[in-house]
Amino acid sequence: MGRPVASKMTKTLSLYNQNFTLHPSGAMFWEEEDLLVISDVHLGKVSHFRKFGSAVPQNAIVGNFQKMNEVIAFFEPSKIAFLGDLFHSSLNKEWLLFEHWLENISAEVILVEGNHDIISPLKYEALGVFVTPEIVLKNFLFTHHPEERHGFFNFSGHIHPGVKIRGRGRQQLKLSCFFKSKDQLILPAFGEFTGKHILIPQGDDEVYVVTKEEVICLND
Amino acid sequence: MNKRELIKLANDWFKFQSWKSFAFQKESWNAFLDGKHGLLNAPTGSGKTYALWIPIVLDYIRQNPDYKTKHKPGLKAIWITPLRALSVEIEQAANRFAQDLGSQLTVGIRTGDTSQKLRAAQKKQMPDLLITTPESLQLLLSSKGYEKTFKDLNAIVIDEWHELLGTKRGVQIELALSRLKTVSPKMKIWGISATIGNLQEAREVLLGPESEAFENSVLIRADIKKKITVRSIIPEKMETFPWRGHLGLHLIDEVVPIIRKSRTTLLFTNTRSQCEIWFQRILQKYPEFAGELAMHHGSINKETRLWVEQAIRDERLKAVVATSSLDLGVDFAPVETIIQIGGPKGVARFLQRAGRSGHQPGKESVIYFLPTHAMELIEASALQKAVKNTVVEDRIPYLNSFDVLVQYLTTLAVSDGFFPKDIWPEVKSTFCYQALSEEQWEWLLNFITQGSQTLQAYDEYKKVEIEEDGLFKVNNRAIAMRHRLQIGTIVSDAVLAVKYLGGGYIGTIEEWFISKLNPGDVFTFAGKNLELYQIKNMQVIVKKSKVKNSRFPSWAGGRMSFSAQMSELLREEMFVASELEADSDVTPSTSAALGTGSVESSLELQALTNIFKRQKKESIIPKKDEFLIETFKTREGYHAIFYPFEGRFVHEAMASLLAYRISLLSPITFSLAFNDYGFELLSDQQIDMQQVFDNNLFSPEYLMDDLQKSLNSTEMARRKFRDIAVIAGMVFTGFPNKMIKTKHLQSNSQLLFSVFRDYEPDNLLFQQAFRETFEHQLEEGRLRLAMERISEQKLVWKQCEKPTPFSFPIITDRMREKLSSEKLEDRIKKMMAQWGDL
Repeated sequence: MGRPVASKMTKTLSLYNQNFTLHPSGAMFWEEEDLLVISDVHLGKVSHFRKFGSAVPQNAIVGNFQKMNEVIAFFEPSKIAFLGDLFHSSLNKEWLLFEHWLENISAEVILVEGNHDIISPLKYEALGVFVTPEIVLKNFLFTHHPEERHGFFNFSGHIHPGVKIRGRGRQQLKLSCFFKSKDQLILPAFGEFTGKHILIPQGDDEVYVVTKEEVICLND
Repeated sequence: MNKRELIKLANDWFKFQSWKSFAFQKESWNAFLDGKHGLLNAPTGSGKTYALWIPIVLDYIRQNPDYKTKHKPGLKAIWITPLRALSVEIEQAANRFAQDLGSQLTVGIRTGDTSQKLRAAQKKQMPDLLITTPESLQLLLSSKGYEKTFKDLNAIVIDEWHELLGTKRGVQIELALSRLKTVSPKMKIWGISATIGNLQEAREVLLGPESEAFENSVLIRADIKKKITVRSIIPEKMETFPWRGHLGLHLIDEVVPIIRKSRTTLLFTNTRSQCEIWFQRILQKYPEFAGELAMHHGSINKETRLWVEQAIRDERLKAVVATSSLDLGVDFAPVETIIQIGGPKGVARFLQRAGRSGHQPGKESVIYFLPTHAMELIEASALQKAVKNTVVEDRIPYLNSFDVLVQYLTTLAVSDGFFPKDIWPEVKSTFCYQALSEEQWEWLLNFITQGSQTLQAYDEYKKVEIEEDGLFKVNNRAIAMRHRLQIGTIVSDAVLAVKYLGGGYIGTIEEWFISKLNPGDVFTFAGKNLELYQIKNMQVIVKKSKVKNSRFPSWAGGRMSFSAQMSELLREEMFVASELEADSDVTPSTSAALGTGSVESSLELQALTNIFKRQKKESIIPKKDEFLIETFKTREGYHAIFYPFEGRFVHEAMASLLAYRISLLSPITFSLAFNDYGFELLSDQQIDMQQVFDNNLFSPEYLMDDLQKSLNSTEMARRKFRDIAVIAGMVFTGFPNKMIKTKHLQSNSQLLFSVFRDYEPDNLLFQQAFRETFEHQLEEGRLRLAMERISEQKLVWKQCEKPTPFSFPIITDRMREKLSSEKLEDRIKKMMAQWGDL
């Protein structure tokens, strides 16, 4: 520890005396556990489309890996947990890029399985990636689908949360966000070629929108 | 038989029908038999079908003297029609002549409505004359061995060419013809067009600039003058006339007597939802019309549409509420009266609709115009003049539509494959691609084979493959099938089939509308109230409902713009209005001296007296030398309305340009709205209008440069990109009624746009979205002319207390664009600060 894990661009939440830093990329860092959490990267999606004749820019493939490298360089975690939908489709050649990418990652990598993760866990385990349906650590539960479980605070993905905000002069913006309700925080989708699903905050919900430069809490 | 004998055959047949042939018909027969290509300028209902079908048959007789006993099978002629509804008419006309002459020629129809079984039969044995659509023709080019099918093709006729010109369907035709010129060496190309401003250009686009066909072609004008009378439906009391709105239902009681009085009436609406609502409301208020009133629009199933069309012919219906699906030349002889609900936006379109009635040559056509809001009364007045002076618009052809070319090349690769060196000169010979560079051609070939310009080791892009001998070919059956299902350039939202629970297909409906409903909700479709039961396998299952209150689906459709000619007429009307006294006792004899002569104020303008009074109280009605700007503040923010009266398209460009120039002065965010009269810049900050004047922001200098930059700051290109992405096969929209899994390939075109912007901004198809956004405004130089006109006008800035009647339809428009020079983070924080007082 001792390195800076928060900056002007991030926001840090304190839950059960633990510190969680939200990053503009959509990733989250658990300070005490030195754990970086990333959700819904959807690797392989661009290749999947291309394989079926839709010419999505191939540079977007590289974009995902670059974005991961940047956030890893920022937090330098010893553990990385993916909250599901790491790989979008069945095996395609992007898997080779993923293999290659892993070679340069010194952190321990865990995958919480998501609905899109149809590639055999054996394939992941062969690369040293530990695959699990969920992670339970201290008071915290990490899953792909949002879940309520008594006594736990849940971190999840799957939804690709976004919000719509309005201002005067008929202005409105749709932004990706971290969506926090009482015992739950849903992470935004990390991947480049992923959409978002607009949620409407109720009562005590807290919304942290992400821009390229900043995490902004709308409840401040 | 020689030509004289042949033509005698036709003349005798005409005599036998007790018809008299027109000069233009004889001219067409002669030209065709002389081996000419050409463009025939003739209106609907003038006998244009016989002008070209007859020489096609005669030519066959000439080449096959024993035609009565020996039938030579195979495709001889293609008749392209833009609308399926027209094909039955043409088939009947063609059959009549072919049979009476004992020619043994067969006629067949092949469109999206044609059954699988019939298609398969046609594939085995093509009819002699095939009536089809641009899309179905492309589909034929995507089938194996198509060259053989077309090898003896003697003629192709493109009917309603004016409707296709200026659309991407027209580009499809250009490409198909470029191919057929090679595979059907004997083919003669003919177009039929209603009167448009650029007829000569229409011929050039059809035949190819400087082509052999063009050199050997004629332009034949029918020169049939038709008397058209326009009557506006004006209510007794103008006080109740709404300031905005587009439905026009307040005039329903004025419409019914017109329907009653006439044998058959067509009511044209501008959108499908408007069509549904009018149909429903007439029946609700006047139930006695049940069984005599029908509805016709493109989403209703084929059987119903065909039934309605036949019922009009048989005079079994009193009235039909329709959209543009009935726009074109259906020869509904019995139709007596036409009612146009809401502004038709263009003179040519209006004239064509008017032409639906009183079909017999020499008969007068009457069209009623029903303005849906007060400002449309000015339009009505302008239309009167347009009809009197027969003003018509140009149809601007598309240039370098890369998306259509990508689709076409894939089509050829799906059938027999192609060699680029053969296809390049063909493509290059078309009007659309005459300026295509070799670099662009290479780019497109790379795009369809590699999905990019650089080959990367891990890439798995798969579409068109290059075989060892250099043949470009699609070998994957799934890709071929998906491509065939996506052929076309009319992009609609993903649609689902609507069916009864007990079976029975009703039509198709846009997915986004249905996705807002829950099971049990009631909506109106095809004139019926339906309860949503469930959505399953791309099908919407419904039950009949007795519930009165239901939701009307709205179909997203492109908004049309006033043409330059229409805009000019509108401005003229405005100037007349500005000269009128504001007194309410204006009499029809009141006239105003204006420009070259004295102009009578029309009934419509007089009906607007109250509105004009109100406008003058808050602001002014601009005179010829004045450019009006209004500013006021409402709860929504600060409004600035500009009134160039140049039509929606020009206003779109001008709003974007001006917003961009203002945003350079200091960070600001705008919401932009436009209609045919003017445009609005709405912001949460006040615009410093003095700065706008001092910096001369209306200057035509650096116009193109600023416009290009403004595009990058707005979202306008996004919408264009959606169509381009679908046409070029990058987005799959799904297929109604077809059990094909495409869900895993459906992506949001918005998302795709963002990925291109971030990762491949130099992609030609991405660039095309920006070019197309303003292409039609720029080509005519309309924007520049408008800016030059404004720079010579006196700017009149009115700071108003509240919205004026002129501004009302604009500020209440919810379809908007945005432009911002503020940092995203700053905008978020500002919005947060405003939440307290919203």
